[in-house]
Amino acid sequence: MLVSYRWLQRHVDLTGISPQQIALDLTLSTAEVEGVEAFLPHLAQVTVGAVKARGPHPDADKLSVCTVDIGAGNDLQIVCGAPNVAAGQKVAVATVGTVLPGDFKLKKSKIRGVESMGMICSVRELDLGDEHDGIWVLPAAAEVGRPVSAALDLEDWILEIDNKSITHRPDLWGQRGIAGELAAIYGRELRPLDLSLPATGAAPGVPVRIEDPACSRYVALAIDGVRGGKSPDWLRHLLLAVGQRPLDLLVDISNFVMLDLGQPNHLFDRRRLAAGGITVRMARAGESLQTLDGEERKLGTSDLLICSGDEPVALAGIMGGEGSKVGQDTSQLLLEVAAFDAVTIRRSAARIGLRTDASTRFEKSLDPGLPLAAAAHLVRTLREIQPQIVLPSPPTDAGDWTDPSLRLELRGERVRKLLGLPDLADEAIATLLRKLHFGVELSGGVLRVAVPANRATKDVRIEQDLVEEVGRLYRYDNVPERRLSAEITPPPFDERRALTERIRDRLSGGAAFHEVLTYSFVAGALLEKLGALDREYVQIVNPVVAGEDRVRRSLVPCLLALLEKNRRHHGDVRLFEIGKGYLGEERDERGLPRELHELALVWTRPAPDRKASFDAGLFPQLRGVLEDLLGALGFDAPDWGLPPAEPALEPWYHPGETLVGAWPDREDPSRRRSPLVLGRLDPGLHRPLGLVQELAGEVVIAQLSIDGLLASRRRAFGYRPLPRFPGNKVDVALAVPTGVLAGELVRAIEAAGKGQVRSVELFDLYTGSGIAEGRKSLAFHVLLQSDQKTLTDADAAKFIQRLERAAAELGGELRSE
Amino acid sequence: MEQRLQELRTSAMERLERAASEEELRALEREFVGKEGSVSALLAAIPTLSPQERPIIGKGANVLKRDIVAELERKKAEFEAAAVEAQRAGSDFDPTLPGAPQVRGSLHPLTLVRREVEAIFVSMGYSVLDGPEVELDYYNFQALNIPADHPAREMQDTFYCDREGKLVMRTQTSPVQIRAMETLAPPFRVLVPGRVFRNEEPDATHEHTFHQVEGLVVGEDITVGHLSGVLKGFLRELFQKEIEVRLRPGYFPFVEPGFELDVRCPFCEAGCRVCKSTRWIEFCGCGMVHPAVLDAGGIDPEAWTGFAFGFGLDRLVMLRYGIDDLRHFMAGDLRFLEQF
Repeated sequence: MLVSYRWLQRHVDLTGISPQQIALDLTLSTAEVEGVEAFLPHLAQVTVGAVKARGPHPDADKLSVCTVDIGAGNDLQIVCGAPNVAAGQKVAVATVGTVLPGDFKLKKSKIRGVESMGMICSVRELDLGDEHDGIWVLPAAAEVGRPVSAALDLEDWILEIDNKSITHRPDLWGQRGIAGELAAIYGRELRPLDLSLPATGAAPGVPVRIEDPACSRYVALAIDGVRGGKSPDWLRHLLLAVGQRPLDLLVDISNFVMLDLGQPNHLFDRRRLAAGGITVRMARAGESLQTLDGEERKLGTSDLLICSGDEPVALAGIMGGEGSKVGQDTSQLLLEVAAFDAVTIRRSAARIGLRTDASTRFEKSLDPGLPLAAAAHLVRTLREIQPQIVLPSPPTDAGDWTDPSLRLELRGERVRKLLGLPDLADEAIATLLRKLHFGVELSGGVLRVAVPANRATKDVRIEQDLVEEVGRLYRYDNVPERRLSAEITPPPFDERRALTERIRDRLSGGAAFHEVLTYSFVAGALLEKLGALDREYVQIVNPVVAGEDRVRRSLVPCLLALLEKNRRHHGDVRLFEIGKGYLGEERDERGLPRELHELALVWTRPAPDRKASFDAGLFPQLRGVLEDLLGALGFDAPDWGLPPAEPALEPWYHPGETLVGAWPDREDPSRRRSPLVLGRLDPGLHRPLGLVQELAGEVVIAQLSIDGLLASRRRAFGYRPLPRFPGNKVDVALAVPTGVLAGELVRAIEAAGKGQVRSVELFDLYTGSGIAEGRKSLAFHVLLQSDQKTLTDADAAKFIQRLERAAAELGGELRSE
Repeated sequence: MEQRLQELRTSAMERLERAASEEELRALEREFVGKEGSVSALLAAIPTLSPQERPIIGKGANVLKRDIVAELERKKAEFEAAAVEAQRAGSDFDPTLPGAPQVRGSLHPLTLVRREVEAIFVSMGYSVLDGPEVELDYYNFQALNIPADHPAREMQDTFYCDREGKLVMRTQTSPVQIRAMETLAPPFRVLVPGRVFRNEEPDATHEHTFHQVEGLVVGEDITVGHLSGVLKGFLRELFQKEIEVRLRPGYFPFVEPGFELDVRCPFCEAGCRVCKSTRWIEFCGCGMVHPAVLDAGGIDPEAWTGFAFGFGLDRLVMLRYGIDDLRHFMAGDLRFLEQF
């Protein structure tokens, strides 16, 4: 909302206080001021000139060459195209160098061969209105040589108030409201405003029938003898200052009252209303109304209407109708000033898509006591301009409203305690509140506070609201800072938080995974691609991106969706995320879906061109990453196994190349927990995910349920003494039928070592030349070590012999080195 | 024999003197004092000598062996020293040879800054709490003193998860205030970082999914002074310098009085793009917990008071790293992520 410094001064004397100071003090006590700007700053550069002579242009019929006195003995030759320019006029002259609105900088120029040293401006060129049919002729009294802003008393400052910071303050949506705050802040008087209605005639008033409680008050007042026309300059300039384009007097007056007091109102051309009076009712299905912006509005049964008889003439609290709007020839008015239900108006404006200055104010919960006062303000303001107007009948004041003003008790102790101001006396509190226009009586330690109606509709309802009033006027920056002191008990250990942070560190370190954050919403199209659409999802009723309306159950689909674009720039893509998923089918008694905490990893890279060195592929790589991670988290390597039939594997996994990692339950070791899944991407999904051709490659996925892991048994961590005897490293290669599993060979190696095998590491897996068809060769580094003695070559030889026999039992043989 | 010994000494010493490389030294070592070497042969032949010669030649040969070994060691040390010297003088060092790339991962910048924030508050005795992202309307609005007809509950601000409006994507971390009050006995101090949702079209400065940090302190005699003291202390730690703050009135239904806390722009002395030349940056909404909210959490507002604050983590990260587009955070683009 824009506030005019000049306008404020109608209500409070601001002498000696700069607009910048006001902006700061309002920000610190009332509402955020987002900016302070001079009103039409170019008017300070435009000079009052007197046209001394007007002569014809030698070369153009429509142009004239004027001699203009701009003071201090300077006469300028100016070429002017306006038809109305004449000798003897006072005009607004923009001289060379002046910058006009639209960033238009005047230069010395030649117009059809005649030099022109400036421009005589029109109203529109100065941003003072729409008139552009000729130059602006200034009042004869304007002093030549002075800036137009000073000569015409147009100097003003505009403060822009952040609307969000006054949503809870219906009283601040008018200039007088802001002035009231300044009066409180600076301890100055809010100038009294006569809001009594002048005497009226005794003719019967306009009947008003209210059929819906969404209208709690409707004041209707007939005004006769009105003449249309242009508003006086003072009014036009005030409206311009707060960003309201002046139109004609009646519209301007209506806007002025709204902007001054914050109370919207509407003027009907009474001759265009039916005789039956005003009815306020909800629209009926199928009804429509042409609003005065010319749009035909289709109405619903929750839109409140003002009707003349039964004919809709205005959208209550939003906009009037085209059919009954005032015009140049209007002489008989019906003034409406009403109180409407805030929520009704807000919803109606939102539904119709028409938010107006009026609806914005009504939706803040205005004081229902205000309409009659606002009607009086309009009549009095109009009468100053047009003394001939008459009020033929008393106002009709219909509706069932109650005065919202209320009394609250405020304990001085409560103020001191909440604000941290132990020395603030009750008397000082009372003084602050009185400045803010509250009535206060002191009685013992309690302040009896009368809350005025315009503060009581919404913002000030309970004792603590008054504490805020005291605090903001005292100013929070005057409250001394304090350190918290209390006995601190260490917060309970949050195992999940500790675990997830360690996972992040471990994965982003040596494992070289990148942490991503993805949206909680998944597109149905992606889930369908992955074959995961048939699950029960928590669904968003009003998604921001059409189709992205499902709350994810797992993070994996979101991560898979990132692979294609990342693979375009990176060969090796390793991503992980820790986040939440929600299961739509499992709800607690209050309806909350079950929440899962999950770690998800995806890893892809192009298939290697040629095996420079042994590489078993991403599956064992990721398995190694997981085992290392879990070890670091304090768990044994999981018991890996093929996935059980139930629960069904997620559809993105390769059905034959997926493993489940299990641990004994933490409390009951006879139960097993399987929080870990590791698998290849289903081969049918590479194409849908765009991972083909130059982006083709291996893709592996893992999911770890954090809660499942927390419920699993940890490794009983103990220290293993350092070896006392040197170990003996032996490399063995075994050629076996392809069907023999690596795990079987590892077990055979361990058995052959008779308790002396400390570690087994696969370092080559080979098929091809030198290995018979249907067979493969696996090579291992084996470390033999004993606690009792230094192992000799003979011990190693015995191990090899035993391993040879074991290999034979598996249908293979030990290959010689 | 004695003469032979003398000749051997002369020749060994001369050749050792002339030796120009470690390799030559090793050859000489083999030739004179190796297993098959000539001094060794001489020693081996001692038993065949006459008893008179034996001690003389024996002693002489041993002395010779010792002297040769000593000379070998001296020459070896000389060569080693020369070799070290040669390495020091080494000439083909290329100071511009690039470092070998290391494979590494990264943490999301939101994680990095969240951890900093958490660490500061944990050091001040706060517990870090988590709460559901799919939340009951009750916790997200109703218990927070946001009544059913409040504008914040309109569809254009809130993602609803059902037609009845009972389940929402939480629009703020504040519902965890109520959850904390329900489970903790005052006094307590909690911090709630988390993901929140608003029904907004994403652009460079708006996201429908973003991250907040909520703080709640409930105790006896908690005042406005404590609120500014705590937030100022936090900001000092975060920016590692004294930061001026100011509290001004701000409206949030769940606090009363409510404030906006502005931070003196830590990036400039005279106005910059970040503070839009105002020298102040809006940092967080905060206030004294509304008595209706304490009530909803089962805490007696007469016996206890508290303050709460909430700020955007995304904004802090943007400030910290000079990031100009919020959408990077949720886009999962490695070219962005690997910079952190």
